[in-house]
Amino acid sequence: MNHLLDIKDLSIGFNTYGQNRPVLHKVNLYVDEGERVSLIGQSGSGKTVTMRSVIGTLPMPPGNVENGSIFYEGSSLLDLNKQERNRLKGTGISIVLQDPMLSFNPVLTIKRQMDDIVRYSDIRMGIKRSAKEREAHLIETLQKVRLQDGERILESYPMMLSGGMRQRVLIGMALLNKPKLLIADEPGTALDVTTQDEILTLLNNLVAEEGLSLLLITHNLGVVRKMADRVYVMEHGKIVETGSRDAIFQAPKHEYTKKLMGAVPPLYGDKVKTIDYKGTTPAIEVKTINKDFTTRSGFFNNKIDVFRAANDVSLTINQGDIYGIAGESGSGKTTVAKMILGLTEPNNGEIKLFGRSINEFKGTSEFRKLIQIVYQNPGSSLNPRRTVAEQLSVPLKFSGYESSQIKNRIYELLELVDLPQNYAGMYPHELSGGQKQRVAIARALSVNPKILVLDEPTSALDVLVQSTVIDLLNRLRKEFDLTYIFISHDLSLMRNFCNRVAIMFRGNIVETGSVTKIFEHPSHAYTRALLSAIPVISQEEENQKPKLNKKERDEVLASSTVMEV
Amino acid sequence: MNNLQADNPQLRDLSSRQMAFYRFRSNPLALIGGFIVISVAIAAIFAPYLAPSPESAGSFVDFRNRHSPPSWQNPMGTDNVGRDILSRVIYGYRVSLGLVIGVLGVAVPFGVILGLIAGYFGGWIETIIMRFTDVMLALPPLAMALAITAVLSPNLINAMVAITMLWWTWHTRLIYRIVKSQMNEDYVEAALVAGASHRHILFKELLPNCFSAVAVKISLDAGFVILFGAALSFLGLGVQPPTPDLGTMVATGSEYMPEMWWQAVMPGLAILYAILGFNLLGDGLRDMLDVEL
Repeated sequence: MNHLLDIKDLSIGFNTYGQNRPVLHKVNLYVDEGERVSLIGQSGSGKTVTMRSVIGTLPMPPGNVENGSIFYEGSSLLDLNKQERNRLKGTGISIVLQDPMLSFNPVLTIKRQMDDIVRYSDIRMGIKRSAKEREAHLIETLQKVRLQDGERILESYPMMLSGGMRQRVLIGMALLNKPKLLIADEPGTALDVTTQDEILTLLNNLVAEEGLSLLLITHNLGVVRKMADRVYVMEHGKIVETGSRDAIFQAPKHEYTKKLMGAVPPLYGDKVKTIDYKGTTPAIEVKTINKDFTTRSGFFNNKIDVFRAANDVSLTINQGDIYGIAGESGSGKTTVAKMILGLTEPNNGEIKLFGRSINEFKGTSEFRKLIQIVYQNPGSSLNPRRTVAEQLSVPLKFSGYESSQIKNRIYELLELVDLPQNYAGMYPHELSGGQKQRVAIARALSVNPKILVLDEPTSALDVLVQSTVIDLLNRLRKEFDLTYIFISHDLSLMRNFCNRVAIMFRGNIVETGSVTKIFEHPSHAYTRALLSAIPVISQEEENQKPKLNKKERDEVLASSTVMEV
Repeated sequence: MNNLQADNPQLRDLSSRQMAFYRFRSNPLALIGGFIVISVAIAAIFAPYLAPSPESAGSFVDFRNRHSPPSWQNPMGTDNVGRDILSRVIYGYRVSLGLVIGVLGVAVPFGVILGLIAGYFGGWIETIIMRFTDVMLALPPLAMALAITAVLSPNLINAMVAITMLWWTWHTRLIYRIVKSQMNEDYVEAALVAGASHRHILFKELLPNCFSAVAVKISLDAGFVILFGAALSFLGLGVQPPTPDLGTMVATGSEYMPEMWWQAVMPGLAILYAILGFNLLGDGLRDMLDVEL
């Protein structure tokens, strides 16, 4: 029987800087009609190269197909000429890209961008349709992706839509010419977990309704469990394991697959590690702080918009706590952390560190020796033009260390985060993501602070690297009696790492408590909505997720992204 | 390092410097540009040894030989008083390069520091610096230079002052834009949290991230400064005779066009050669350092 898409023994190398680097090695993969197939692997494993070689956007050179072939409905894609290949774009194979913002041209309306796709494919396929007919087709397609308000959306610019709506429009664009195979590259990963959940449900429904085949490329195992019939696991450009979803998830055979599965923090079940530490002395007390951000617009800067980022936030964090602050983007969690760090001034309210108001001593080296921060993206928090040693020396230099001590302290710090001493002379781009984050942690620890603010420290890292960084953080906490404030949207990680959690929603703290209380008996609808949206990797966990009814869902989720399932 | 690549022992990881050099080397135009710039620099530095008749650079006259066309004796011909044009071109590069070094040596640090300050501090400091820069940019450069040199008496130093006063603005704008975008990166805030001083952040954290853009801008600028200086000299407001200057030579030579074409065309080609070199080099550096201007 012929497969819809059949990749046979595909090997691809890249010619860069006079060297030939193999990227894919004898990749075999097929997708049958109506099937949902997932390709998983870490970043850099070759998933995207595979995808791009299928849709024909792999730059050649430097890319070079060394061996193998790709068949689509029996015709060899690599041997087609440009015209024949273009004819398949959108009509045979279509793609949904990862980032819904970057995939649009910000200065053109949605209508123009969608219409272009239809118009050009009509020209290629020799179909004649009037502008009216095309517009009707656009609105019909938007309805397929559950966007009822088609006319309004067509007139909008990309920035006027929410992230979830943009992702929907993007899926709609991929469907415009009724493709047979839809390739989705990390759909929804750039979005909040509740929105991601809706997008995944939508894709599943579309596959069922339209008779599409789906090739899903992702690193998130929870997404795969929800979205795939068959799974391919890719490591270093090779397919290391393949099989049906249940076979892979219940009995992974290859070491790498097992490692991947093991690294995913469980949400429910026996594997969950509960940290039941109970602190008594308060380290941080936040008392009813508010923060308004004002933006001025209009011709004379006379129109003032106020956005409340934190509304009557009160928190008490005890010494030794790993205090999780969870919430979606824009919920105010980073603002609260920045106010605790003294970087942003609250409009009113008071913040105390170990009983002292931070206004008394913020900006002094005494304050810096109490609290430090590790940022989300080490690529941005480390200066690309300075060596590891230079970066580590900054907090030391400005906290009164002698230059003779600084060198020894740097070696000490590198050892602390399990990096060899010769890394001191390296620049950030010579390190991997996990190593960079270790340097950032070493920098935060350099002045022996008592409290570390961790602003999504692992969200830019692969799941395997994430677990090693989390292990390191756990070890350091024991060694130095640290208190952590852990900001994240990854609730399954929080379940296993924190002892107390606060859930933030639109600037308010809606629920606080111990991890067991929040995860086993969530009281607020929003907490339940968050928990129920997390992609998990086993059916048992799926069954234990809290349920919420439609009314509650409507209350806590933005109406534009809520859909009728 | 990944498995597939570990199978192949010849593969090695290149440092970013090696990669940048590879990009530069595989760009033939950049190599040509580099070669031209080096040849111009050598000509300027070793002029007394390279020029076939060094005395032509001064107020030497040889009326028997005046207006002689290019020959083996005088590859670029001679001018209206019989001086060897090739020798004068070689000496002329000294003036041009001196002008480049003098102008950019002052304008670049000044412009870069203002740009750093405006971008980093923001607020009213930014408003004052950037609006002043805008005003300076709004003045037509040649007219402004004419006014300055006319007031200050025309000579090389005053031409340099005039060009410098107009040149720093471009660097301010460039650095301002880079700093503004770098301010969104977390490392600036991380340095603040670490207690770093403003001076440390400006010169140790932000400035290194501007280097590649400034390097490219300088190499592109060099060509334009030469051209600008030549234009001033052509108008009689730059270098005064008998000091050989390419712009002045074109101006005097143009009186004998078109019959004795070499007197204007040869120095003109020399200007073209130098500017072409600097621009090709600048383009090559831009690809190599991967910056947007």
